[in-house]
Amino acid sequence: MLSDNAHLSDQELLLAADGELPPARAGQVASHLTECWTCRVRKGEIEASIGDFVHAYRGDLDPLLPSPAGPRALLKAQLAAMTAERAGAPPNGRTKWLHGPYPRYAGAALFLAVLVLFVYLRPAFESRGAFHVVPVSFPEPSLTPGVAAGVNRDQICHSVPPKNRIVPASLQRRVFEEYGISGAEPRAYEVDYLITPALGGADDIRNLWPQSNSSAVWNARVKDALEDRLHDLVCDGRLDLATAQRDISSDWIAAYKKYFETDRPLP
Amino acid sequence: MFNDKTIPDLAAATVSSTGEAKPTLLEEEVVALFDQMQDRLLRYLLSTGVPVQDGEEIVQEVFLALFRHLQRGKSRRNLRAWVFQVAHNLSVKYYVAKLRNRKHRVEPGAVQDADSFVDRTPNPEDQLMRNQSHARLQSVLRALPEQDRRCLSLRAEGLTYREIGQILDMSLGAVALSLGRSLARFTRAEER
Repeated sequence: MLSDNAHLSDQELLLAADGELPPARAGQVASHLTECWTCRVRKGEIEASIGDFVHAYRGDLDPLLPSPAGPRALLKAQLAAMTAERAGAPPNGRTKWLHGPYPRYAGAALFLAVLVLFVYLRPAFESRGAFHVVPVSFPEPSLTPGVAAGVNRDQICHSVPPKNRIVPASLQRRVFEEYGISGAEPRAYEVDYLITPALGGADDIRNLWPQSNSSAVWNARVKDALEDRLHDLVCDGRLDLATAQRDISSDWIAAYKKYFETDRPLP
Repeated sequence: MFNDKTIPDLAAATVSSTGEAKPTLLEEEVVALFDQMQDRLLRYLLSTGVPVQDGEEIVQEVFLALFRHLQRGKSRRNLRAWVFQVAHNLSVKYYVAKLRNRKHRVEPGAVQDADSFVDRTPNPEDQLMRNQSHARLQSVLRALPEQDRRCLSLRAEGLTYREIGQILDMSLGAVALSLGRSLARFTRAEER
């Protein structure tokens, strides 16, 4: 039993606040606290400090936490590979390709493939919190929805059509980072405007995407032809500017097929 | 989820009626634990100064280790403390490796600036408050001995004194003393 003059130590008050006292002692402390204002105030101060610390700790660190989507997908794939490896690719293996003549290596191969995929795509889900496919012919809508600069038809048609401007190197790097291809050979991609400035496209990262130069069919040359076509149609009054901007930004290949009335790029 | 029961066939691979890959019960259990705990583990690692990217790799390692642990039919007793203990051990190894490789030396507790990890642009008022909070927390954490800092972070992640003692190899009394010391410093910093 505590004497009336003895105050509880901070350590004991902390244990009480955290519910960590043994039951018998907790009863004595609770009884003391009902009678002792000093200890009650001190316990309140300790609890306030805990609250302040937790608030600062979470507030400081939570904004740093990236999306778990990518690591979760990686973990699932690695677990599947480990299960297959441990089972030595059993007859009722996990996937059809594991049934082949190389079951012993299947798990390791899957693991390696997942690891390579993770390393390759990692910057993409770090920058925007989700996996993104490395672009070839299509921009990623969540990264490059297309942004117009707010100019009108007269401004576009009564001036020398601005061809795609050179994108500053720093902005190009940011586009590469966003698409998770920071380590790619720069010549393999052209950072292109989704809505070309000739159709009122803005100098905005949301209007830029890395178009692959390796695409043999739907490549930058084909898109340039579409841009010229849309510019002519708008300036001839046969198409309104907003429709042209919407069509080229939503699916430029579909727009090409629509405005050239063809399923394949014209030679 | 955190019981002591061992289910021998949890790891048995099965194939769905469509012939597609189907995760084993054990895989599903580990992924469910990942969903519950990955943010807490990562936050704890960040609080000790591990950068985000390395922290994510450590968290992956923790859950792969957990999977191997359960695959071998080992104890399921208090898996929450178990995963924190593995994360703690890996973070200690991480610092040892960093210290050996002085090219990338990182000071424990020196949590990197938020803007180096994520591009967020709060309004000026939020930014000021965040900076003040960040600076206050950092000044307190940096001033603490490493063991006290880890103790405080683990408590903030909801671990009991017994679990903290198990993870950091401390007695219950030492945990209480450490937390009391740290909170007193934090209170003094708040009052300044």
